[in-house]
Amino acid sequence: MSRGEVVSAPFFYRGELVEGSDELHRSRDLGVAFSTPKIDYDKAVPSRLEVPPLLDVPLAEIIDFLAETGQRLAAPGNVHVQECFDRMAATHVLPRSMLQAVSQHAVSQLDKRVLLAEVEQNFPDPKALDGWVPKRDFHGRRSFVRAFAPRLVHVLPGNSPGVAVKSVAQGALVKAVNLFKMSSADPFFMVAILRTMADLDPAHPVVRSMSAVYWRGGDESVEGIFYRPQFFDKIVAWGGGDAISNVIRYLGPGLQLVSFDPKTSISMVGREAFASEASADRVAELTAADVMAMNQEACVASRFQFVEGGQDEVDRFAARLQHYIAARAAASGDLRPYDRDLKEEIEALLMTDDDYRGWGSTDGSGLVIRSAAPVDFHPVNKTANVVRVDSLDDAVRYVNVATQTVGFYPPARMPDYRDRLASAGAQRIVRIGESGPSTIGNPHDAMYTMHRFVHWMTHEDGAEPLALAAEY
Amino acid sequence: MSAAIDKLTGQAKSRDRFDYSAADIRPLQVEALNERFQQQRERIRLLGLRARDAGTAEISAIEDVVPLLLPHTAYKGYPESYLTGGKWDRLTNWLNTVSAYPVSPVDPSAINDIDDWIDQLVAMGHYVTCSSGTTGKSAMLIGSAKDIAWSQVDTVAVFSWGSGVVPEQNRLMVGTGVAAAAPRNIKIGEAQKAAFGNPEWPRWNYPVEPVTIGSMTRQILMRKKIADGSARPGEIAEFERVARERQAALDAAVGLTAEHMIANREKPFMIGGMWAGLYAIASAVRERGHGGDFNPDNCLYVGGGLKGAVLPPDYRDVVYQTFSIPAGRQFQMYSMQEINSGMPKCGDAGRYHVPPWLVPIVLDHGGDAAVPHGYRGEVEGRAGFVDISLDGRWGGVITGDKITLSYDRCPSCGNAGPSIEDSVARLKDIVGDDKITCAGTVDAYVRGVS
Repeated sequence: MSRGEVVSAPFFYRGELVEGSDELHRSRDLGVAFSTPKIDYDKAVPSRLEVPPLLDVPLAEIIDFLAETGQRLAAPGNVHVQECFDRMAATHVLPRSMLQAVSQHAVSQLDKRVLLAEVEQNFPDPKALDGWVPKRDFHGRRSFVRAFAPRLVHVLPGNSPGVAVKSVAQGALVKAVNLFKMSSADPFFMVAILRTMADLDPAHPVVRSMSAVYWRGGDESVEGIFYRPQFFDKIVAWGGGDAISNVIRYLGPGLQLVSFDPKTSISMVGREAFASEASADRVAELTAADVMAMNQEACVASRFQFVEGGQDEVDRFAARLQHYIAARAAASGDLRPYDRDLKEEIEALLMTDDDYRGWGSTDGSGLVIRSAAPVDFHPVNKTANVVRVDSLDDAVRYVNVATQTVGFYPPARMPDYRDRLASAGAQRIVRIGESGPSTIGNPHDAMYTMHRFVHWMTHEDGAEPLALAAEY
Repeated sequence: MSAAIDKLTGQAKSRDRFDYSAADIRPLQVEALNERFQQQRERIRLLGLRARDAGTAEISAIEDVVPLLLPHTAYKGYPESYLTGGKWDRLTNWLNTVSAYPVSPVDPSAINDIDDWIDQLVAMGHYVTCSSGTTGKSAMLIGSAKDIAWSQVDTVAVFSWGSGVVPEQNRLMVGTGVAAAAPRNIKIGEAQKAAFGNPEWPRWNYPVEPVTIGSMTRQILMRKKIADGSARPGEIAEFERVARERQAALDAAVGLTAEHMIANREKPFMIGGMWAGLYAIASAVRERGHGGDFNPDNCLYVGGGLKGAVLPPDYRDVVYQTFSIPAGRQFQMYSMQEINSGMPKCGDAGRYHVPPWLVPIVLDHGGDAAVPHGYRGEVEGRAGFVDISLDGRWGGVITGDKITLSYDRCPSCGNAGPSIEDSVARLKDIVGDDKITCAGTVDAYVRGVS
């Protein structure tokens, strides 16, 4: 697909596909144009007088439908997915093969056992999703509690197609009425998922609970309409800066924000790594895997590596790290040039003096900078900043409220650090090289997400007859 | 070997300097570019490195200089910790990578903050100015004594050309905005005062403490401390109290300035400032029952665009009418901290004119290649310039501005030299889109320091 060509991004309203070219937009980063229909507000927001379509569909049936969707998404002949990746190749910074791999991995999570485990970890009693769970307190007061289906508008990020899969799954599992606001980097994949579902059963309650549209983030003429408690209970939003400040303006009684904040991830490498040349090399290789998570476009991707050791050891480590980063970069075929401003700042920095040393180059093929304190810029596009420390204790002060994942070596020292890391603001500590995988159902962004999504409704059923008699 | 440079810079005060067509002057410019390049590549490490990377040994066409254009981030390459940790010797070493003249080691024992460091450099003939970046860190631009002398001549010549005001020391100089107390700004202010100001009348300095590089640095340091969590609540409360005090002084300054101008309204003014401040003071003048009753010989020097301020559509007319600025006296220019020469506008509805010693290069949006042109018509793209007059650092810059440059004769003033349409925009405001990702920095978690 050539630059300059306008690609079409259709909308999806609860089973109905709407094509159109009423509006022209530009994708982030690449400046490619795409066209969409006008938003049909009434189709995007079902009335509160309608009970959510999924409310009385048993969880088990929803899980079956999601698993079936997963298989269809993974099937080689899925035209919706094929078309979508053709289009995304034009609008996204990452190579097609990587986008496909990421989405395939996400799709593989649409598995019955995985989905059930997610629900069981989020809800002490998953039965609250399917019905009114009876309660009785120690005074004998009775009630029923339900994890009632919420009305959610999801503001999706543009960097990873995996989020689309996860959002659909979570939106369906909590039986929500969902509106997905797609991003300009990927205004396609969510619709491809929903079309695949509609092919399975266009009238399925899951399909009738999902709509996906695009508008330019911050467009008041659209957000001023949608972001009202009469229409939605919660805005589920990713990112920071303008993306979040736009949303915050609309919050108020009845309309809450569930935010997935922008995150930076780091590595902490203890001196045990230097027990032998072979172990140093192996740890560098594992660290490179963390740096290169989604070619460093992901929040789990390590950007700063705090390495405990002498200057020479740490420099040798930095060289090996660069070797493995470059190998991964070359294998992925992703050679985006550096942003000009960043390139100049780094080159000027490296000229400064011995405080800074660089391995590799600023051409997007993989670069490591070693310094005594973290660099001032945000390392992106296959750039790692190795910070030499005398003790990993010294690295803790660089952990802050934006720190997500800490890749750690050796595993035996992790318990010594996890409390201090959490206190400083971090969310995950993982073995080095394992920034990606997590135990199924574990919290994300320091919360049990689905538990936050639902509308906890209570039905108070009064005290027991004996207590009642005493009262009156 | 600076014959071509001298020929071009010798035009500094010539009346017809904007009347040389680009096609006619280009061969001389290329010659001068090569003279500068040969001279500076040995002196400036960063330029030498860039030339080696690009394989450039000589400049024989405009295309040769494109890889040698530097963005302002090249002047931000020093680590912030040098400022915040007071590593003045390290900062000096860094400055030597971008300076054309060796900067000798400073005496750290006599330095308490960056303002002291800058003062020591001034004493040695090095003038450092700062441009504030979006991330907080400033670009540090070094200039020589020669550059300051040039700026002093250029600022007067440019204003005189664009406003028709003759420098005859007859005006009351009025500052309507917070002054930047960097050495170069101070020197430029002095030159304007000497040329246009009545020596009997003291300049009206805007009654707010000037911004120094040190005060900007303290802001950056606070931001960093808030970001990493080391700022305690008491410290933030104190910082906000000082900020409120400053805001109160800023608010009061508008009224005080309006009153001073009203009291002196029979005198001819040279008013300097930016649109937002000018509009606020004009409104204060009107609230006090004045406006249109000022000296009809007044003139106005506006630096820069709106800088994000939101004003009513008729803001310019309100300012002109309030201060009785006659048509043709509404001076505006286009320039940036990274170059040392101004491009004056010919009248309020005119275009910005590029002098012959400033080579405009319109680039593609990525800044990788010059947009081809046949010395005719308009070219649109990212603005690059080489200021051949620059002596203390390399004069080649690549900006973040989108410009439309015309090679035709200016329809407003008739000059034949290249001119820029009054539609300069920041590229990032144009290509920016809703960029949402799960990856990001702690910048998103900092509030109240910008």
